[in-house]
Amino acid sequence: MKVSVDSNVCQGHTLCAMTAPDLFVLSDEDGHASAVGGDVPPNREAAAREAARTCPEQAVVLS
Amino acid sequence: MSIDQVNPAPAGDDARRQPRIDVDRHSTVWRTEFRTLSDDLPANAPIAWNETYGGYWMVTGNKEVFDIVRRADVLSNDNDIHFERNGYDGIQIPPPPREQRVVRGGILEMDPPEQRYYRNVMNPYLSPAAVARWQPVMDELVRACLDDHIESGRIDFVDDLANIVPAVLTMAMLGLPLEDWVVYCEPSHATVYTHPDSPEIVRVRELQNQMGMRAMQSIAQLRTDPRPGLIDGLIKADISGHSPDDMEVLSQVTLLIGGGFDTTTALTAHALEWLSENPDQRERLVREWEELRDSATEEFLRYYTPAPGDGRTFSADVEIDGKQFKEGERLWVGWATSNRDPGLFEDPHEIKLDRKGNRHSSFGLGIHRCIGSNVARATFKTMLKGALDRMPDFVCDPAGAVHYDTTGTINGMKHLPATFTPGKRLGPGVTETVAGLQRIVDEQRLAEPVTARKQARLTD
Ligand code: SF4
Repeated sequence: MKVSVDSNVCQGHTLCAMTAPDLFVLSDEDGHASAVGGDVPPNREAAAREAARTCPEQAVVLS
Repeated sequence: MSIDQVNPAPAGDDARRQPRIDVDRHSTVWRTEFRTLSDDLPANAPIAWNETYGGYWMVTGNKEVFDIVRRADVLSNDNDIHFERNGYDGIQIPPPPREQRVVRGGILEMDPPEQRYYRNVMNPYLSPAAVARWQPVMDELVRACLDDHIESGRIDFVDDLANIVPAVLTMAMLGLPLEDWVVYCEPSHATVYTHPDSPEIVRVRELQNQMGMRAMQSIAQLRTDPRPGLIDGLIKADISGHSPDDMEVLSQVTLLIGGGFDTTTALTAHALEWLSENPDQRERLVREWEELRDSATEEFLRYYTPAPGDGRTFSADVEIDGKQFKEGERLWVGWATSNRDPGLFEDPHEIKLDRKGNRHSSFGLGIHRCIGSNVARATFKTMLKGALDRMPDFVCDPAGAVHYDTTGTINGMKHLPATFTPGKRLGPGVTETVAGLQRIVDEQRLAEPVTARKQARLTD
């Protein structure tokens, strides 16, 4: 599984990073998120799904 | 009566503006009957024409809120106070009378691209990384507020804690004198809890004007004698080749003060009141603070949605979710009802401190997401933790608790007295602490943007 953030949709609510701090980084400047990249470790797939479900803008993309 | 005069089928606007409801959001009913309304409206009339205040669309369902509010291409937040553009009325329904509108409410009453330029200027003062630097200051302020009352066994959580910490912190971030929080505090809250039709509103608007004058003096002073902070950033900003004049700076300052003061106060008061009424949950929160801190905060945000909704104006004719909207029509987006949608939140009327997937919209959605959300969360957590740690057996007095009569703008509380077993003072009270923090803020230039300074260095 891969996770990414649609930067056109993300508004910096930070809930993804709150849910899965190891999978997302927040920009120092505006708090918008990006994914750390690479494959999501199998034991973190549930956390990635949870982050996608929690994002108020539905900006977290799983593939 | 001839037959052709009887009940003509509604035509034109009347046909379009269906279903019709009659809900005065500024009456006490909106608060006292909120549970019924939040079950009824999203289920039966998620997009409805509310006939109060001149008529406007009221969107209460979660899906509909999500679909509509992110359409920044057909929505305007503009408060065009001098009729320079389309004459739109900003985010309040009803809007204040035009002659009372001195400035618009900052970026919240602006549209892109202007809104984005300003937002980019302010973000580096308010991002998660920027806010983290203020944690030692928040800790000190909370300690001082509690110390002023810890020996007496009595505190008013609104007057003595939740009004003070966000207000002083907002002053500090703006680069204003910290002690000025007193000047801004009362008018900021009174503006929000006074019904727009109440005779009191005249006095409140007068207080607001005085507050505006004070802010104008401070802005002028900061131009000649710069100090770091949001105002300094705004003064020096390049807004696509134009630098903001004093009124434009004031417009942002008004928003930051209005948004910074009352909302976090409201959230904190409600959370403390609930924890007092649910001692088993309070014990659990204390015991599992590390695990529950974030989820509990988001849950209080969802359940007590400090800003129940915001107004917009349609800037174009458009169809969304099967409804035809016309340019110029007003719209009110209901965050609070959306946050109780059973489709998205299991047992929506229950507070679950460990709720997962809490996709609430308490900070709004789309390009106008609350720019102070990170400050609000951090301040709230610090105040809550302080009260739980130092007054662990506090009991709020329901007879003394005063909720806002009108929650049309903010779902807040005026007073929340509580008693507890007295404890020991740890340091000086608010007045002395604020003076001490002023020195530290100045010497260490704490209010610089995160782009200039990353670390917190609160050492004396
Ligand atoms: S929760 Fe969504 S909107 Fe918020 S930072 Fe993460 S991706 Fe962006």
